[in-house]
Amino acid sequence: MDEMKFKRTKQNLGAFWGNFGLPLIFIIIVIVFSAANPSFATSYNLLSNLGFASYVGIAAIGMTFVIMTRNFDISIGSMLALVAVLGSSFIPRIGGVLGVISTILISCFLGFVNGIFVTKLRIPAFITTLGMLFIFRSLAYIYTNNVPVYISDRFWLYIGNGKLFGVLPFPILLMAVCYGAAYLLLRNSPVGRYIIAVGTNSRAAALSGINVDNIKILVFTLLGFFVGVASIVNSANLGAANPGLMGQNYEFQVITAVVLGGTALSGGNGSLGGSLVAALIVTFLGNGMGLMQVNSYWQLVATGLVMIFAVSLNKLKFYLLGQGEF
Amino acid sequence: MKIRYLKIAFVAVVLLTLIFSASFFGCKKEEAAAGGGMQVKTYTNAADITIGFSLWTMQFTFFQNLEKGVKDACADFGFKYIMIDQNSDATKMVQDMNALVGQKVSGIVSTPVDPGAIGPAVENARNNGIPVVCADIGKSGPVNALLISDNFKGGQLAAEFLDGKIKDPAKQLAVGNCLPQWTYARQRGEGFLSKALELTYNVGANIIVQNPSAEGGYDTMQQILSAVPDVSGVFFVSGREAVGAAQAIQAAGKDIWVVGYNGDPEEFQAIKDGILDATILQEPYYIGYRSVEILKEILMDGKFYENVEVPVDVKLVTPENMDQIAADILEKTGNSAFPAE
Repeated sequence: MDEMKFKRTKQNLGAFWGNFGLPLIFIIIVIVFSAANPSFATSYNLLSNLGFASYVGIAAIGMTFVIMTRNFDISIGSMLALVAVLGSSFIPRIGGVLGVISTILISCFLGFVNGIFVTKLRIPAFITTLGMLFIFRSLAYIYTNNVPVYISDRFWLYIGNGKLFGVLPFPILLMAVCYGAAYLLLRNSPVGRYIIAVGTNSRAAALSGINVDNIKILVFTLLGFFVGVASIVNSANLGAANPGLMGQNYEFQVITAVVLGGTALSGGNGSLGGSLVAALIVTFLGNGMGLMQVNSYWQLVATGLVMIFAVSLNKLKFYLLGQGEF
Repeated sequence: MKIRYLKIAFVAVVLLTLIFSASFFGCKKEEAAAGGGMQVKTYTNAADITIGFSLWTMQFTFFQNLEKGVKDACADFGFKYIMIDQNSDATKMVQDMNALVGQKVSGIVSTPVDPGAIGPAVENARNNGIPVVCADIGKSGPVNALLISDNFKGGQLAAEFLDGKIKDPAKQLAVGNCLPQWTYARQRGEGFLSKALELTYNVGANIIVQNPSAEGGYDTMQQILSAVPDVSGVFFVSGREAVGAAQAIQAAGKDIWVVGYNGDPEEFQAIKDGILDATILQEPYYIGYRSVEILKEILMDGKFYENVEVPVDVKLVTPENMDQIAADILEKTGNSAFPAE
């Protein structure tokens, strides 16, 4: 009887941690930094950080889908730079609105190409996207001759820097809409169920009539879409698209957010909410340490430690739920 | 079921478009009314002033010395001081600038990792009444002041040095140049080419170092040796690249005069070792110190600075004057001009 009670308590704790663990860590980070530096908790700083979190947060949606299907995409940093320089260079000819649309279409196409290589040519995602990492970056250099493209279009710049009614940074709304749409897709549509099925057991999914290749191509294309949106936000923040400096280490930031958010590298299991909170943790942690004048090398050490700590706690959740060892 | 989703999606898109349009066009009016220029708050008490410094990276001695200059100036004038390291990341640079605005600093000094990408962040700071001084590297869009080494003069000094050693305009010269987006650093090459032309030298190769590093300098020097085998003197517009080039010359067993630019510890060591012949020294400590002085003039004396470019003098370092210059650097910055042992 006692054993049953212990087991149930463990499971309740596991469920609690699964639902509220990351948000709890995020709240603790906010409280600690707010106590340490009053400037941290100002509405300006908090909103500004939420806006910046969209840079990682938006692409993390697509990466969550890709990792859920047991794949990876490490080409997204180069893809971000390539689509930003291409799209922004079109602005003088086609204007900002069409420039934005063409950027997103190109990034969807690049994601689609990645998906085709992985599924139809059966090249492992790691190898395909590693190759594309070099190709995309080189194409960005070749296209621009390594000269940044300066952006002065008001529409484009508004996407990264605009404030709704002078208060709320536009990237926050954009990120919220992206997460809302992705949540509906994943939890309330057949496609979402197919993605989960392919990630859990692709063989069983194929036997039950799901076109596994098409689902994988779709998730790579979706990742391309979200990288396209993030590239517009980022280049608007910077006021320029730089083929060499944009998107450096971006893939690792996004993958970190997704894994930290609780998406299993083994596929099937993923959490969009977790990816969002993890993107916020990474952004607020960097900002808080910067405001506290923490040496930049120690910042990297602290970020690494927090990530290992959070992932360990994620393992604790599975242990408490009786789904693994700790 | 499908129709329900379509309805939700349609309503979401319409709402988003309405919000976006209202906000976008509302903002247009507001900005038009604001017009150009900026309102700066002036101070009578130095203790009320906080200077925020957004630094490219603490990885290189150049920036360490620049930071020392900013910090010393803040201490001398009685200002509070906040430094944030961009970690060589353009996105973090913009984020840091906004964080400094959020902290309501009185003035900002920045050495931007991507000068082309700092425009919107500077605009935001200035819209909040915070003057911005760029300490070296460059800028995009208006700032209050940009302190930048007199790069054109530095290039001319390098050409004059090579002329003094080679003394024969019939001999060939070459340049290891930098990437086109480094607008201000490109002036080093322009100064060199103009002086070489004036001295009637032929510059047989002007090659861009595609990979800005010692390895990049080594590769570029090999390309120069292939293009102009009888080259007598070369000028590399950056320090580490010049050292890499000097090593390529040594490996090729050639006798070619080499001049670098920056005054990095690797260059001082290479001059001491007899590999590099000279370099053009920038004064990062002075650039940092003077940046804060300019902010003091704006914030306390009410002096008007709008998009002012302040040239900073450069010096030629040769084996003859190297020890004296190294001693001066050590005295000012506490950093040795040579690499740490």
